[in-house]
Amino acid sequence: MIHSPLVAATGNAELLPSATLCLSAQSTAPRLLAAVGIRKSYRIGGESRAVLDGVDFHACEGETVFLSGPSGSGKSTLLSILGCLLECDSGEITIGDRRVDRMNVNERTLLRRHSIGFVFQRFQLIRGLSAEDNVAVPLTLQGTSLAAARQAAGELLTRVGLGAHRNQLPTLMSPGQCQRVALARAVITAPMIVLADEPTAALDGKSGIEVMELLKELVRETRSATIVVTHDPRIMHYADRVCEIENGRFK
Amino acid sequence: MLWNIAFRTLLHDRGKLLAGLIGVIFSVILVNIQGGLFLGLIRKASLLVDRSDADIWVGHRGMHNVDFPHNIPHRWIDRVRSVPGVVEVEPLRIAFSEMSLPDGNYEGVMVVGVSKGTTLGRSFSIEQGADDALEYRDSVIVDSCDDDKLISPQLGEIREIGSKRARVTGKSYGILSFLVTPYVFTYYDRSLEFTGADPSLDSYFLVRAAAGADHDSICREIESRLPDVTAMTATTFANTSTNFWIRRTGIGLSFGAATLLGLLVGLVMVGQTLYAMVLDRITEFATLKAIGSSEREIILLLAAQASVVASLGIGIGVVSTFLIRHLLSSPRASIEIPLSLYLASAILVFVICLLASALPYLRVRRVDPHSVLQG
Repeated sequence: MIHSPLVAATGNAELLPSATLCLSAQSTAPRLLAAVGIRKSYRIGGESRAVLDGVDFHACEGETVFLSGPSGSGKSTLLSILGCLLECDSGEITIGDRRVDRMNVNERTLLRRHSIGFVFQRFQLIRGLSAEDNVAVPLTLQGTSLAAARQAAGELLTRVGLGAHRNQLPTLMSPGQCQRVALARAVITAPMIVLADEPTAALDGKSGIEVMELLKELVRETRSATIVVTHDPRIMHYADRVCEIENGRFK
Repeated sequence: MLWNIAFRTLLHDRGKLLAGLIGVIFSVILVNIQGGLFLGLIRKASLLVDRSDADIWVGHRGMHNVDFPHNIPHRWIDRVRSVPGVVEVEPLRIAFSEMSLPDGNYEGVMVVGVSKGTTLGRSFSIEQGADDALEYRDSVIVDSCDDDKLISPQLGEIREIGSKRARVTGKSYGILSFLVTPYVFTYYDRSLEFTGADPSLDSYFLVRAAAGADHDSICREIESRLPDVTAMTATTFANTSTNFWIRRTGIGLSFGAATLLGLLVGLVMVGQTLYAMVLDRITEFATLKAIGSSEREIILLLAAQASVVASLGIGIGVVSTFLIRHLLSSPRASIEIPLSLYLASAILVFVICLLASALPYLRVRRVDPHSVLQG
């Protein structure tokens, strides 16, 4: 059982599967995400081009997996598919104990809301909202009242070192601060899975390290499975496992 | 939270919010002022009826407009008096004539002859001159709002109407005809001289009914006794008179077109503003979708933003309209805006704003949440 203030706030621990264990990580941690035989192709110039060609992937509770590879190798596409933002052409995806590839658009939207946290390369904060309100958004989408969500967001921002900036607009914050707000937004609901798309690409070296430290610390509490797409060699040591992808296949 | 996002992002983009507000304010003012001008103008068509103090108007069969009477025999008045429920009946004469002007020209006037010793037909109230102004010899009452046309007749000034001597002994305020012809009020007998009319004919009979009497029943009884007349309650005749001008002149269409144009401008401006705001924040909508906002919530967010713009704009627009009306309304260009018009315009503009939010939604609907991972 997970003992975390974040998990306690949302009760998402109930969603964790108990049967499937993560054997590859040589631990007994439950497998939170599993993808088997994922294929995806795009039509470019009238021709079908395979971006993912039968990819198998999994991530376990508390595990941080890095996806790396050259540009166009398919890692962002895989991240989108794992995050239920994009449908695969074929293959099976299971998040927790639910088959994602059979879900309709609304079901996938709700799954993202309740089980997945996102960290984007360009932060993607809402400019008109304060840092606190930005962090509170996912909680309110889950039905938490604005006041309670703001309180939780404020506490989390304090934890990530932005307590004094809780009422500040993102436009007045540094890139490093914005990414920390984005991290807080991603984990405020204690999601089962955190997906991060090049979270340090827009940051300087010091900020990048700080963000990764923070990400590791936060997901350690939530026991989320964290999948990070990155090119950044400075942060590779934060990975429990690195999966290199090339031409739509893992090496 | 949706309201919070909607409100704060609107406020964050103050330039666009201002543009949207201007559109809504413009629409509200235009709809209300156009509607108020229309009501103020069209009300002139029934001013004589509205202020006549009569319950029922009796005129020639098929009467359709108070300013254009077809005469009826005076002798029929006793048959009207004999109808049960009728308390008082007085004749009214309305006829065209000409008034001489100080510069030697003439101005067409509409002479209204009322009976002595009764309030029936006395649609004027004397603002300048004695209360018994019509008791003087050759006396007439003109409206001070017609001063321009009649070249400012002064109290006691002698003019000619229908080549007969007339003395201006009183002036009313704000009794204007829908036509451009000024009203001149005088006693019934004197009006015969000014208009050269046949004394055996009247324009209308004005009826005062007994308290509690059914006016419609009295009308039916009068028409049954006098098959060549039409009897209408004052309210019905007022509506008939205004409808006459609305149908024959197409005035409703022209005012309606201007009002519609105002609404259209509002729709376009609000739609364009919201659309521009959405385009500017399209990645934010993609992000909201990515982190789990449903289509319904996105629609509600856009509708909430439209509602905020609409509510603020309507509030400012109504206050502005009130001030404009207060400053610009005059008897000649009367702006009459009843509460129902304010309410109707507010509801209409609000609905238009909600419809306008459909335009940015069409754009947001096409946003793929996957796009936030593509930089």
